[in-house]
Parts: sequence; C-alpha cells; structure tokens
Amino acid sequence: MGSTPYRILLDALDPGAPAETDLPELDHTPDPWESSMQATCECLSWRGTLDNLDRRHAEDALGETLYHDFPVHTRPAVVTAHELLDRGVITEEELRARMDAVRARLTRQ
Amino acid sequence: MTRTHDHDHDAHAAIQSSSGVNEFEVLEQAVRELAIEKGLFSAEDHRRFSEWAESIGPSGGSKLVAKAWVDPEFNARLLADGTEACKEVGIDWLDPTGVGTPSDYTYFYVLENTPTVHNVIVCTLCSCYPRPVLGMSPDWYRTPHYRRRLVRWPREVLAEFGLHFGPDVEVRVHDSNQKSRFMVMPMRPDGTEGWTEEQLAAIVTRDTMIGVAQPKADWTATSSPSAG
Repeated sequence: MGSTPYRILLDALDPGAPAETDLPELDHTPDPWESSMQATCECLSWRGTLDNLDRRHAEDALGETLYHDFPVHTRPAVVTAHELLDRGVITEEELRARMDAVRARLTRQ
Repeated sequence: MTRTHDHDHDAHAAIQSSSGVNEFEVLEQAVRELAIEKGLFSAEDHRRFSEWAESIGPSGGSKLVAKAWVDPEFNARLLADGTEACKEVGIDWLDPTGVGTPSDYTYFYVLENTPTVHNVIVCTLCSCYPRPVLGMSPDWYRTPHYRRRLVRWPREVLAEFGLHFGPDVEVRVHDSNQKSRFMVMPMRPDGTEGWTEEQLAAIVTRDTMIGVAQPKADWTATSSPSAG
C-alpha cells in the first residue's frame, strides 16, 4: 500500500460531487459497472494477482486516508487500481491512456 | 429459419448515452482490459464469473432452513456458526477465491424467528446481502425507501408487504454491513408435518429469509401466484 494517492485516480472524482455524509451512499443505487468490478476483483484474486482479503483491508485503509473523499461504492475500483499501480502491474501512463480510449468508445455517437 | 420483423426499426428511438460518462465506469473497464491484456485473467474468466455470480439464487438458503427445521442439531450448529454450517449444504463462503465470494470477506449470522420475535434484514449503507445463500438481492431491497424507512418504522414497512404483528411480537431489524451478513430463519408453518427436506425447502422463499414474508404450506414462489 503506497502512502501517496495517484493523480489519475484522484482525477476520477468529480470535484462537484457531494461529500460523504453521516449516512453515506443512502441514495446510491448500484450501477452495473460495480458488478463487473466485483468480478474483476474476484478474477484477480482467483488467478493470484491481488488477494481479495488484502484488497478489502486496503479498501478500509486507503478509503479512510488517501481516498477519503471517494464514495464507498467506488473503493473497489479505486483501490484495485491503486494496488495494481503500486505493484507495478500497470503504469499510470497506460492507465490514463486506456481510460481516454475507453471514454472515447463509450461516448462515441 | 429467419424470423421477420413486423415493426419498423426506424421507429425506435436511438439509445442515447446518459449525460456524460461515469469516470468510475471508465476506470473499471480500463483496469479490466489492461488486466486481461497482461494475462492476469481472461475475458472468459470474467464472463464466467459474472454469469455464475448472477445465477446464484436463494436455493442455498432454502436448504439451510429446511435442514434446520428437521434436524435440531443442525439448527444449533447453524445458529452458532452460520459460515461453517453452510458447508453442510454445499456452500463454502471461502470458495472459490478464499474470501467468501461473491460477497467478499464476511461473517454470516442466521437469525431465528420465534412466536415472539420477528427478524428482518436491511443494509442502510448500501446493498449488502448474503449472496452466497440468497443470490442477488431484489430491486426493492436496494431502494433508499426500504433502507431508510425499515430501520425507523419497521412495522409500517412490513405491513406494506402484508405482514402485520401485534405488540406481543418484537420486531428486530438487522443492519448488514461490509463485514456481517444476516439471513432470517422463518418459523416452520403448520400443515408441513412429515414433509421431506426437499418439500420444505420449496416453501422457504427468498422473501421469507429476508424477513418480509412468512412461509406458507401452499406457496412455493416457483409458479405464478395466479397460475393455480
């Protein structure tokens, strides 16, 4: 677990997003991408890259520190990416490039 | 055989993307694609896992309850250690990934209804649910109205499901969280004496294990209520 957040991940948070409250996520309805993220986490654990329990501990630790402004439901995505970056499995540059490519695909008319 | 369409495709409105893309959706897809490209897992792995996780239904929970109804010793084990007792009906919260997939690392508690105590579960924070035993949660379970109101006015909410309790019954609401999952063990209904575990499991429906319904000898939830 690194001690500094990654810029590419901080940029994912909309600066206009409402801050967490005493009852965070009360109005949140899970999105389909969250199920897909769950499957990604399970596959990473299953195939030996990132153990689920280690990830959950990282979610608790990083979610309350480096990424404390992020909604709880985004923690699996943010922390999984953070852990893969920390382990050198992916780089910040290739993640940024891939996010740009994915965003372009999703918004193509 | 080719089927012909009897409607004009031009009449369909084009599917519009919503007002802007969700950056976390983008992040999820980017991480997944990079992981697949680097050989950490395959696209087939991901698809199979998603298909499997979404296909889990409440039958595991039904088996647990039915077995507990006919076997007092299993009932005691189930109430004492839900995670361990689940293995006796083939559900290992630690398999296949070692941490309770698909609901992650968790403790599992079974809550026994009695003539004077009725239990019901909710997740006020998000949508935590005992997926290994009940499958995917129903839509209404995830709504803010259910989550917000059940903890404040449980009898009112249960009445909307058709469940009415007098003052002699204590209603206990159990709030699930990241580490703890709950399931209700409903009371065995009258008219089921001598039934097999399989027969009993058929009437232990999803809603009875959430706690918004009670099992009935003549209702299995496997066919339309209007079918009979």
